[in-house]
Amino acid sequence: MKLRENDHIVGYVFISPFILGFLIFTLFPMFSSLYFSFTEYDLLSAPRWVGLSNYEKMFTDDDKIMDSIRVTLTYVLTSVPSRLIIALLVAMLLNRAVKGIGLYRATYYLPSLIGGSVAVSIMWRQIFGDKGLINAFLDTIGIHTTISWIGYPATALGTLVLLSVWQFGSSMLIFLAGLKNIPGTYYEAASVDGAGPIRKFFHITLPLLSPIILFNLILQTISGFLTFTPAYIISNGEGGPLNNTLLYSLYLFHRAFVFFEMGYASAMAWFMLILIGLITLVIFKTSKYWVHYES
Amino acid sequence: MKRIPIPVLLLVMLLFTIIGCSSSQQSANGGTGSSRTIETAKSESKHDVKLRIAWWGGQARHDYTLKLIEMYQQQNPGVKIDTEYAGFDDYWKKLAPQAAANQLPDIIQMDISYLNQYSSKNQLEDLDELTSNGTLDVRSASPETIDAGRIGGKLYGITLGVNAMGATFDAALLKQAGIASIPVNWTWSDLEQIAKRMKGQGKVLDHMRFDQFFPYYLRTHNQHYFSSDGTSLGYSDPQYFIDYFTMYLKWYDAGYMRNWDKESLTKLTPEENPVALGDGFMTMAWSNQFITLQEASNKSLNMIGMPGPNGKQGLYLKPTMLFSISKSSKQKTEAAKFISWFINDLEANKLIHGDRGIPISAAVKEGLKPLLTEADQKVYDYVAWAQLNSSAMDPPDPPGAAEVSKLLRDMQEQILYRKLSVEEAAAKFMNDANAVLAKNKK
Repeated sequence: MKLRENDHIVGYVFISPFILGFLIFTLFPMFSSLYFSFTEYDLLSAPRWVGLSNYEKMFTDDDKIMDSIRVTLTYVLTSVPSRLIIALLVAMLLNRAVKGIGLYRATYYLPSLIGGSVAVSIMWRQIFGDKGLINAFLDTIGIHTTISWIGYPATALGTLVLLSVWQFGSSMLIFLAGLKNIPGTYYEAASVDGAGPIRKFFHITLPLLSPIILFNLILQTISGFLTFTPAYIISNGEGGPLNNTLLYSLYLFHRAFVFFEMGYASAMAWFMLILIGLITLVIFKTSKYWVHYES
Repeated sequence: MKRIPIPVLLLVMLLFTIIGCSSSQQSANGGTGSSRTIETAKSESKHDVKLRIAWWGGQARHDYTLKLIEMYQQQNPGVKIDTEYAGFDDYWKKLAPQAAANQLPDIIQMDISYLNQYSSKNQLEDLDELTSNGTLDVRSASPETIDAGRIGGKLYGITLGVNAMGATFDAALLKQAGIASIPVNWTWSDLEQIAKRMKGQGKVLDHMRFDQFFPYYLRTHNQHYFSSDGTSLGYSDPQYFIDYFTMYLKWYDAGYMRNWDKESLTKLTPEENPVALGDGFMTMAWSNQFITLQEASNKSLNMIGMPGPNGKQGLYLKPTMLFSISKSSKQKTEAAKFISWFINDLEANKLIHGDRGIPISAAVKEGLKPLLTEADQKVYDYVAWAQLNSSAMDPPDPPGAAEVSKLLRDMQEQILYRKLSVEEAAAKFMNDANAVLAKNKK
């Protein structure tokens, strides 16, 4: 009996860093931010209770927030599907017995390892700048242009989407694992019945992979909404040109740390949380129509 | 019994890690440099006084400021100074949370645009008592210079140096295009003629930063960017906005300035300036930026007053930066002594080398004279000229100024990309900016 109690203590000791960290760095800040979202708080003076007026202002008196939501939705709706499609295609390519396949898999995964980091974003700035790699390449094939792709309103957001698609590695790895789980016998049987590769893809691969697609879709959608670093670095922190790269998180950052409106920024953060929650819910609810579980 | 020591050991280790993390209170230190304390040779002696100082700047400024602090600690063995420094943008993002936690450094390098915000929130000490009892010696500076740090009659910051805006240009390039010199009392239409001629040579005029040169233009028309109480814009006739940006758009469309898709991405460092790159013939800049710009360009540059008419009314001398003492400081007298030394000590100012503007102390200015390089001399001459050809500075920016300037930037961008007509932008700016500033009414 005594020994058992002792074992519990060891367990609690081991888990205490996590519990403490969770309480101090997650739960407490979360609820403080909920409180701050009902106040006017500039960091310098004490927060002042203003009730729902931050939320009211968000929906009635801030046209930039609509801009930023539009930009964020455009970003998520274009980058997430393209990223998943590319990830699936590459995963299928890498799901073959080719010599040195391990090396290929590692190489394709590499961009996601370095992730949405500052270094990659700076590199992207160089590549799409007016004297960057893209323009140099266009030059060699006879197209002379000096536009700065990241500074030009029509293409700025596109470069961010491309950066996101380029980092398809983690979704690809998960797809790869899913593909390995599909029994080869299904394909053999289909071949015997005379099915071609396209038919096999739509009738075997896609249905059996659908739970994995759902998982990736939700994960990528959430991370898409939270994208911040590339937009911050690539647009010099401005969200320009013409607010075309003003992602919601970047605008929230402006409100919090440039204009010192912590209360308003907290309200924005909670709105984002609710929005992401709703979208995830919708994806889950619709999933029963397209996700196929073997049982 | 044998088993107990393991969890106990783990617990002890955990405690050590937690203590180890929390005792190094360096979270406030800037992203661009690590916080450190310089120990002097006499560091064994008891440090009675501990000060914290924070500033922003580039690497060169960090280096000499650390040397300065070392020098001060050698002269005052009882004082130990902790340093925190960062680039300009990061600096303010770190300072605000410190203020929220009531942990501001004792000595804070302050920008005139933030002075109002911090003083109105009761974060800064009124320095009048410390200057009048001589702890902070400002006798060698002119009263007007000292008054620049005054808000509502209270002294919240000591100016460290002064500068003035002006036009920095590449005289050799102009000469190649057949422009021998620029008259002192030149105007915007002179500038237009020069820009036109220089465009023929493939050289551009650098963009003028919206939140500095539009206010200058307003001043030349006896108008102001902000009203004196800071609750609205300082002008009520949108025509000033329309005139300025119509002119700007005309020049931009004529190709006198570089494309906005390139301009909007520069970090405004001297190295990226078109003058330094050799693509540009002129940039409007502050006098304390002249030397770094000339170094980055690697060629001789000149400086002249801003285009008029009424340049004298538009031009003003501005504190480059100030030192403030936080209200929460427990060592206000010692902090004041350091600031006093900083502005009055000749040896210290030899290290500063005009990087924080023209020194405010007449004695220091005199003492530095034999050491001036040719570029230094140009800056000194320019500021001396500006002193005689300028008028009083506007009051420090009101709270909300950062948001108003962001609005103005958006307006300029939408005008240049032809998303808004100049007239629409003028109305929108006036409406939105006034709404932001109206929050200051209380």
